[in-house]
Amino acid sequence: MCSYWVMLAFCCLGHLCADQSLKPQLAAPQLATNNPTLTTVSLEKPLCMFDSSLRPNKSYAIYLYAMKELANVISSLVTDNSSKPLGNTFQQTNGGQLGPYKAAFFNVPSCAAPPSLADVGDVNKVADVLKQYLFRVGDDGHCLYDPNFLAVCNPPLAPDTIYRFKYVLVDSTEGIMKDQSLWSDPIKTRKIKLPLKIDTSPGRRSGGMIVITSILSVLVFLLLADLLAAVSSAVMRSEDSFAKTRQVSQTIQQSEPRPQLSSE
Amino acid sequence: MAKSDDGMRILQGLLVFGNVIIGMCGIALTAECIFFVSDPHGLYPLLEATGNNDIYAAAWIGIFVGFALFALSILGIIAVIKSSRTLLLVYIILMLITYAFEMASCITAATHRDFLTPNLFLKQMLEQYHKPETDNNKDKWMSEGVTKTWDKLMLQNKCCGVQGPSDWQDYTSAFRVTHNDADFPWPRNCCVLDTQGSPVNLDGCKLGVPGYYNSNGCYDAISGPMNTHAWGVAWFGFAILCWTFCVLLGTMFYWSRIGY
Repeated sequence: MCSYWVMLAFCCLGHLCADQSLKPQLAAPQLATNNPTLTTVSLEKPLCMFDSSLRPNKSYAIYLYAMKELANVISSLVTDNSSKPLGNTFQQTNGGQLGPYKAAFFNVPSCAAPPSLADVGDVNKVADVLKQYLFRVGDDGHCLYDPNFLAVCNPPLAPDTIYRFKYVLVDSTEGIMKDQSLWSDPIKTRKIKLPLKIDTSPGRRSGGMIVITSILSVLVFLLLADLLAAVSSAVMRSEDSFAKTRQVSQTIQQSEPRPQLSSE
Repeated sequence: MAKSDDGMRILQGLLVFGNVIIGMCGIALTAECIFFVSDPHGLYPLLEATGNNDIYAAAWIGIFVGFALFALSILGIIAVIKSSRTLLLVYIILMLITYAFEMASCITAATHRDFLTPNLFLKQMLEQYHKPETDNNKDKWMSEGVTKTWDKLMLQNKCCGVQGPSDWQDYTSAFRVTHNDADFPWPRNCCVLDTQGSPVNLDGCKLGVPGYYNSNGCYDAISGPMNTHAWGVAWFGFAILCWTFCVLLGTMFYWSRIGY
């Protein structure tokens, strides 16, 4: 009896531990550097997540549910009482505010042949690798406004909002949920800033500008002072020379009559 | 007497040499400023839209000052050889006027270079690039100029945004009004394009996968030519003015020493 409870405890512990890795994860940041953006979140596809629940000769699909992490979320259940997955759309849940909405469904990714991230560098293989490895929530900006759109609509998310995501494994023939992941950790979309808030003031003056201005101002001042000095010295010299010429002519006038007197 | 005559001869020789250098520098200044005004990198629309295009005004002044320096240097050589006081006085006064204009050009270029900060271009890019509705013709002309210049910049220099593509994600913009974030996290020219001009892998570009988008900013491609322009006008002009200062001092001394 005791050993039975111990085994059960271990079993539950093991299940819990396994569950920690059974959450949708953000795509690897080295690969998808622009994630999350304002209105999209790129999640890793559930590679090997539901392998234990897959049975041979049956077809399965993965459903992705998204919801806002708000206090007044009415219900975070993704299935009804008979384990059928809910088909709530983005509009019906007001963008995930009232509960989870179905954002996408796709085939179960192959665990036997996982995509190799190293192939991303190859231009021919990158499209396949990205398609197999990740899924972009909020990718389709037009399906909300297209009245002819009948598939699952994956409209852009709201900025600066926290979302949570969940993968559900569904048996395609019976339409019943077979397994589900936990809700992901809260993922927040980016917040936007206004360009009006950008400060365009230049700050301090650069050293070069101060050097140029100060030295040139000094040089101009020296030039003007020198010009003034040259002009005034020229004026003074011309006055001096004018005064000297007058003196010389006076001396000549005074000395001229004497030779006449001596000759007489 | 003989010594002062020798001294005068040496001074004359030095002044002629000084004027020859001024003439050559004047031609070089004109050529350099014509090169800058011709805007080889096509960045003028960005400056015009920010209202900070005074470094181009400084270059325009430089063109005319360079030519004036060349003409005045010839006048100076003739005046010094003829030892004519009148000609020398005319030379000195005209040189002082040219000196003042060149000083204005240098200080303008140096001062206005300080205004060209990354934030200035960032704000203008966000507000003008692909602006959907413009108020009047002038606004339309400016935003078209900004859009074309940025497209060319991003294409030729393989860059995105001012400091990086995150500029488009961190701030709202005129571009964001008409291009939703899911399809256009940043403009298409930020993607690595093939020879036909379409992105090599559009999903890779939107996700920011390294190698499929341009991850570096364009500020270096803008500030490099702007710096060359501003410092070329300011510092070369400053060097010419320092030399001209010495020649003018010598000329004024010479003028005060010779007779009519």
